[in-house]
This record gives sequence, structure tokens and C-alpha cells, in this order.
Amino acid sequence: MSSTLKHTAVAVPEIDWKPSGLAAYLPFALAVGGSVVLSLVRLRAGGENFMTDGALMMLGLACYLLAAVFHLTDLYAPSRLFQRLGLWGATAGVFFNAASFGVRWVTAYERELALLTRQGGEMPWAFRYVPFANLYDLSLAFALGAGLTTLLIANKQNFRFLGALSLPLAALILVLARFIGDEIVNLPPVLDSYWRPIHVGTASIAYGVALVCFAVAVVYLLKDGVKTESMAIATSIFSLAVLGTVSRFSVFAPSTFGTYGASTMSGRSSLPLRADVPYVGWMLVLSGLLLAAVVVLFIRYLTSQNEAARRWGQRLLKLSLVAQAGAVAVLMSQIKSMGDVVSRIDSGQYARFGAWLLEQRGMDASQVAALGQLRLERAASEFLQTNGAGLSVSLRSNPVELSALITAAAGTLFVVIFSFRTERLRESLPSLEKIDELMYKTAGITFAGLALLLITGAVWANESWGRYWGWDPKEVGALVAWLTYGAFLHVRISRGWTGRPAAYFALVAFLLIVFTYLGVSYLLPGLHSYA
Amino acid sequence: MSAIRETAGETLERAASGGVRSAGFVDRALGLLSSVRLGVVLLVLLVLACMAGMLVMQINMEGFDKYFADLTPSQRLLYGALGLFDIYHTWYFNALLLVLSLNIVLSSIDTFPRAWGIVARRKLDASAQWLRGQEQSAVITLEGETAGEVAGRVSAACRSVGLRPRVSEKDGRTFVFAERGAWNRLGAYAVHVALLVIFAGGFLTSQLGHTGQMLLTPGGSASEMTETTFGEGGVPSELKVALPFEVECTDIRQQLLDRDGPISPMNTLNWSTAVRIKDPARGETEALVRLNAPYDYRGYRFFQSSFVSEGKARQITLSVEPEGGGEAQELTVMRDGSAALADGTTLQFLNFFPDFAMQGARVGTASEEYRNPAAAVRVVKPSGETALGYAFGERAAAGPMAGRAVGGYKLRLVDFEKVGASHILSVQKDPGAGVVYVGFVLLTVTLLGVFFFSHQRVWALVEGREGREFEITFGGNANRSKLAFEQRFARVVRAAGGVEASGVKQS
Repeated sequence: MSSTLKHTAVAVPEIDWKPSGLAAYLPFALAVGGSVVLSLVRLRAGGENFMTDGALMMLGLACYLLAAVFHLTDLYAPSRLFQRLGLWGATAGVFFNAASFGVRWVTAYERELALLTRQGGEMPWAFRYVPFANLYDLSLAFALGAGLTTLLIANKQNFRFLGALSLPLAALILVLARFIGDEIVNLPPVLDSYWRPIHVGTASIAYGVALVCFAVAVVYLLKDGVKTESMAIATSIFSLAVLGTVSRFSVFAPSTFGTYGASTMSGRSSLPLRADVPYVGWMLVLSGLLLAAVVVLFIRYLTSQNEAARRWGQRLLKLSLVAQAGAVAVLMSQIKSMGDVVSRIDSGQYARFGAWLLEQRGMDASQVAALGQLRLERAASEFLQTNGAGLSVSLRSNPVELSALITAAAGTLFVVIFSFRTERLRESLPSLEKIDELMYKTAGITFAGLALLLITGAVWANESWGRYWGWDPKEVGALVAWLTYGAFLHVRISRGWTGRPAAYFALVAFLLIVFTYLGVSYLLPGLHSYA
Repeated sequence: MSAIRETAGETLERAASGGVRSAGFVDRALGLLSSVRLGVVLLVLLVLACMAGMLVMQINMEGFDKYFADLTPSQRLLYGALGLFDIYHTWYFNALLLVLSLNIVLSSIDTFPRAWGIVARRKLDASAQWLRGQEQSAVITLEGETAGEVAGRVSAACRSVGLRPRVSEKDGRTFVFAERGAWNRLGAYAVHVALLVIFAGGFLTSQLGHTGQMLLTPGGSASEMTETTFGEGGVPSELKVALPFEVECTDIRQQLLDRDGPISPMNTLNWSTAVRIKDPARGETEALVRLNAPYDYRGYRFFQSSFVSEGKARQITLSVEPEGGGEAQELTVMRDGSAALADGTTLQFLNFFPDFAMQGARVGTASEEYRNPAAAVRVVKPSGETALGYAFGERAAAGPMAGRAVGGYKLRLVDFEKVGASHILSVQKDPGAGVVYVGFVLLTVTLLGVFFFSHQRVWALVEGREGREFEITFGGNANRSKLAFEQRFARVVRAAGGVEASGVKQS
């Protein structure tokens, strides 16, 4: 069991590059310190001729992606250069990410400063403007939490692999943020409390560490010998679920088979009307068929060791990646270049849209239900005649759906990468005990962080709403994720369940966090509807 | 939790082996109830129940009636029969929490003695073979005079990296045992105690707590709160709960972001209600309730909940110009208050209309917005003669009623402080909240204590070899933070071996 002393035969050359002591924290300190300095400079210099927070965020995103590529390359072909590029790329990414956060804080402050001082009012305290107001802000902070955790861990010699997985995930969150859009919104007064930075700050750190824990769990399973074919089945089913639900189930539904509709917007608000995007529906159908074939072939391989099935599965998996990536690319370019939106709206949606419209105008649900189909359709077409010119589609009209499509493709991409020289990859990873220890450490910190999240949320709710627990979906979402990490900790000490089952719990727990973070805001009603 | 790790296996073994054959039903039930595996199963069940509660809208949420109406009859029947519309108050959810609490208590009782043993009865000696089997182990050779002297050097090495050493002798062999953070073994139990405290507080709240609402309009008062409960299909019913005191509203204010904007939540920085509590037992108390700054009184807590956004004015500033000519004066009058002119005439501010309009023969407001603000004012002459009229803002200056003099004065509404018509306070009486807070503090402290510290132990067996040579066998383990411990262990071995770290012979 003496793990330090046992040396497994490692095929790759051991590179002696192990920063010790405080030097190990240099990237972290540089990124944080630099971003604070940049934000202060922005405060002094004013917003003119200065980079916007949105631009800084995009730079952060680019750095995360680049650093991830270097980290991945280093896993397959270890080299000091790639390691350094990966680490400093990650550092630059965290710097830009944090700077974007700081500059956004300053920008929000200045936005109200002008109005309040003009009218002679007092300036509220600076924490009113800390960017924790909506899902964009939280995404920025979530990615930052993940980036900072990665910086703290990934420069340790054993854990260099981490950035290869955690940075792409952080990048995905920033992509989502990009789609959500970076408008600064007025703060609902109930959120103007000192508990907000405490509560949301805790959330972003806990979520960030959870993301790292997820990445470690994936690596654990890989090292433990889980076949990439099994992973492909899991990601393919995830992709299929995404393809099946996007565009309100239209891609595979018999009546609308092969169509994909993008959400339309009127001004800044999203409408429950979909404009048909050409080609995309069929590309998604093709992706879906390929993925389904992959699932069937790999199940056949796993159950009967059929080599031909494995080979064909691998081929189709790659093809499905091309199809998914192609669909996303075409979707984005079509959305950007779509001219006349109204002509692309299928009239089959009119009745439901009419009902929504009338309810928006204050009509009772029962009154709306009493109206005939024709009346509803007429209300919808009248709306389109008068407001049609103002309708648009944009990348911002449905951020979660677009991000889900990209995430699905990214999942497939990673399985394809892992399938390449899997044994070599496994060898270059540290021992199973070390990965397990890191998984336990990050899960433990996440568990403590989520507990703090629940506690600060409860105290804040008790100070603002007069109750510390109300079974609100967001509260329950955080509780569910916390309980799952709790289950992870106990599975790990239950005889016979240690190892792989524990890693599955860590995976599920993070998915529950993502559900809490996105699903509750976008799918479920409740008090946390703002973020 | 690692204390459990060392003991959990044993518990399971005990339950699985010999004990079972002769044990009765009670013993077996207890064995099951105290197992960690059951804990995991219960957690998973709890997660599933909570997920159901998230996905099915709960009865007390806004918009439930619409959601309920949109469900198919079979969905309504199924969800209703399973209690999914109010899952957190069903018998099975409560039973789940109860069994989980029992599991926490019993498994803690089961495993605590051993964890306590690790802390209280330190293992001071160990065989060389056992030491080599530890997570970390190393063997080095040192030169020295006596075993005691070498053990002293090893002790110093332990101390230099933050481990507390103890030297002992047994059967003629010398041992050094060093450790840090032994209390960490008990952390998991403290976490469980904290959770039970929170559960207990939650139970108190559910049994004894009351939360209601109270509408307060300046000048008005309330001595009861309205508690809302939900029945079948989300039909709300209101319950009046009497308070042992009366709450009188003396003033309400609204701090706006843009003073030219509306009385809407998004344009509001904060709002406050000034109240006077008239208590037969304690007399009168003045208090201010602001958003995010509740006020506590006799176990009751008052919060800002929402406001009625009909545009009103807290105070108005009037320009008062004598009808026959002369200098205009500016005068500020509070709501329901009055102010005097230099000649002794007083002006009383009676009412405010945000969007002044004639509704038949009556005066009223066309909307809640500040479109055409006007104030109803009574002018009282020193002689006692009174006149009733209206002061209008800029926009209505040209209107038919605008120029009309009131009691010999031309009145114009120059400025006013915007405020809503009434504020709605939440009133909470919750004897469980304090207990829950104690649990929160405990949980925070214990979780940080558990996950950021660890119990680290190092043993060294000093055995004499030829001449002045001594062989030292090191072994060590940690219940968590194993990576940090690995480094500390290496430092101990290096420090004991002096600068010649290369002399470390690693098995």
C-alpha cells in the first residue's frame, strides 16, 4: 500500500518540474493580483478606450480553450513546453475571466453613479454592484471558480492532467454566458443585501470545485479501465436526449420530423415562437441516427466482444461528431444571417402562441381556454402583422439550447479523443489512489461549500423573506446536490462500494449542480427566477 | 468520516457473520438501521423525493392553480394520490427524514467507541512488519550512541514538521509515536450532531412557527396577521392570527433609484415602514422596518415583504401665491400634516392623486402612475374660515381646475416625495429558527474542521544493529489529506536522516 514508494512503470519520460512552496501559487497570485490591478485601473481611467467586460470574457474563453489543447497534447506527448504553455494559458484565462468580473463590477457601479449623483442622491455601497445579479454573472463566476481551482491543483506534478478536462468545461460555461448576453440589469431591491456576495460567492466557489471534482471523476473512471465504448454510450445517450428535446421536441416528432426552429425575440424578450432554420433539422436527424447506431454497435461489442461492431462504432462515432459540429456551425451561421423571420414561422404554432399572448395581456387562463382555436390564431397573426418587423432570431434567444447542443458535441469529442491510444493515456495518468484522493478532496470541499451555500442562503432568506427554508426549487436543487455529495462520502466508506460506484456518485452530483444552476432558472418557477 | 471507514467494515462484518444466526429480529433491525449502506440508500431516496418535488409544482407556489388546471385528469389523480403536490409534508417524506435521523444516531453510536479509542488510547508501539504495511513507510539507517538518543533525534524531526512525538519502550525496543489532529477522528460525529440540531430546529418551526402578512397604511394599524394555507387544488385559505399587541404605522418611505421613475420594485433601492408598537404589557415602542433589515420584538420578527405600488406622496412642496398679487412662498407639508404661512394661514395636505381625473362628479385617479399628480389641500384662515382645493403639477398647469385659487391663494405642486400607498410586512414567530442557527454554526465549524484538517500519525521503531548503527522503520497514515501527509512523511524521514536524504532506503 505504500503509494509513494511504489513506482509503477511509466512509459512516458518523467519530467522533473515541480514548483515547490510559494512558487506553486505564483500563477494563482498573478492571475488574481493582475485582475485586481486591471479593475482598479479601469475604475480610475473610466470606460472610454478601455476593454469592455464582454471582450475580456471572450479573451478568457480563448485562453481556456488554448490551454486545454496544450494540456491535452501534453497528456499524449509530454513535453515541458506544452506543460508551460498549458499552465500559463490557464493563468491568462483566469486573469481575463477575473478581470472581466472586476471590470463588470466597475461598469455596473458607474452605470448607476451618473443617475444617482445627478439627482443628488447618496451612492449606495459598492457591494450593490458586485456582478452577482443574473445568470450571466453567475456563469462568469462559476467559470472563474473552476479556473482558480484548476490553477491551484494543475501545477502539481501528479495532477497536470486536470486542465485538459476542467478548462474545456469552464470554457463551455463561458460559451453559455456569451449566449445569455452581458447586459447589465437593474438589481431587484430584495437582492441588495450583504448576504448576496457571501451567498453567491460561496456558490461560485463550490460549483467551481464541483466542476473540477467531476473532471477528476471522469479521469478516475478512465484510469480504472472503464471502456471508452461505455463512455461513448453514455455521451451518445446524453446527445440523443439533447437532440430529442431541443426546439420543443420538433426534430424527431412525427409531425415536424427533421425541422429545427430557433426561438424568436421581440426586442429583448424571448417569444414562444420558433422560426424554422433550414438544413439544421436534417443534420440533427443525421447526428441522431449515427449516435443511435453507435449505441447499438457498442452495446453489441460490450455484450459479445464483437470486434467488427467496435470498429464500426468508432467510425460512426467520429462521423456523428462531424455531423453534430456541422449542425451547430450551420445553426449559428443561419441564425446570424436570417432575414425575414416571420415567413419562417410555421403557422401550426399560432394557436398556442395566441393563448400565451392573451395571457400576457392579462387574460385569465380559463378565459383563454374558452376562446376557440380560430380566435387564438387570429390574435397571433394580428400580433405578427403589427410586430413582425421587430422580430429577430439571435444567439441570445435560447442560450441553454445552443449550449446544450455544443456540450453534446463536446462530450462526443472527448470520447473520440479518449478512444485514441487509450492505454497510453491511462499510463500517463497518476495512480488510481492519487486520483481517488484528489476526487475525495474536491468532493469534500464541494460538500462543505454546498453546506455553506445552503446555510448562507437560509440565513439570507430568513433575513429577507422571513423563513429559512421554503422548499423553493433552487433551494431543493442545492440540497439535492449536497445530499448526493454526502452519499458519495458515505459510499466511499461502505465496503464493496468503494471505487467506481463512488465516482459515479461524483458524476451525478455535478450533473445535479448543473441542473440546479440552469434547469431551475430556465425550466422551473420559483423565487430564484433571476439566477 | 474516516473514523467510520475504519470501523464500518467491522460493523458490516459483525452484522453479516455469526451474530445474525442467534440474534433476534430486534438486533437484526438495529444492525440494518445503523449501517452506512442504509444511510446511502436513504440519501438516494431523499434525493429522488426532492427531485419529484422540484419537477412537480408545489401547492404553495405562485401559479399553482394554472399549473393544476393544465394537467390531465389522470396526472392530477396520480400526483394527488402520491402526494406529489405537497410532497415535503407527506407522511412518507417525514418518515424518510425520521429514519435517516435514526440511522445517523444509531450508526454514530455503533462506530463512535472505536473512533474514540483511536483518540483516547493511542497506539504507541508497532511491529516492523505492520509499519511496512502502512500507507507510507520507509527504513533508514542512522548512527548514534544509544537507542534513546536516536529516538530523541527522530522526535525532534517529528516536532520540526508539526507532529507531537512520544517516545516509549516496550520489550526492550524503542518506539517513537507522533501525531497531529487526533480530534479530526471525531469530526464526522460532530457534523452529524449539527445535522440533528438543524432537524430538531426544523421540527420546532413546523410545529410552532407562524408566518403571516400585515398590510400597513400610514395612519392605520393592525393587531393580527394573515396566514395563508393551501387546500385541495391549491385553493388558498386565509387564517387570521391575533397578535398580543397593536402595530400602528406612522410613516412609510420609498427610496427610488430614478426619482423621475415609477414606484416599481426595479426602480426601488429600499423601502421602510415606521411603526409604533402598542403593547399592553410593555407600553409603546417605535421601530423602523426596512427591506433586508427586519425588526425583532417579543419573539416576533417584522420584514418588508412587498408594497402597494399605487403612486402616493409622502410630502409635497407647494408654491403658494396670494391671489391679489405678492410674493410666492414655498411650503413643504407632510402627508396628513399641515404647515403655516407667515400670515397664520395653515395648509393641510389631505390626499394625493397620481393621475388626477374627474370620475363623474367625483375626484379620483385614472391610474396608479404619476401621470397627472395633484394634491388635495385644505386652507384654514386664521379666522377659522376653510376652503378645499387642489394643487397641480406642471403638466396640468393649463387645465381648467389648475389656475383656480383656494382660499385666496394660488397653489402649485412644485415637488413631492414619491411613495407607495401601503407596505405589506411579513410577520414571523419562529421558535425553531434560533435552534437552526445554532445547528448552522456547528455545521460550518465542524465541516471546515473535518475537511481542512486530518489526523496524521507516524510511528518509528528504533532497533540497534552492529556497532553504532541503528535501523529505523517508519510507518504512517492519515485519515484524509493523504497527499499532504505523503509530503509531511517524506519530510520527517528526511529530517531524521539529516542532510543525507539519499540515505533513505525506501521499501
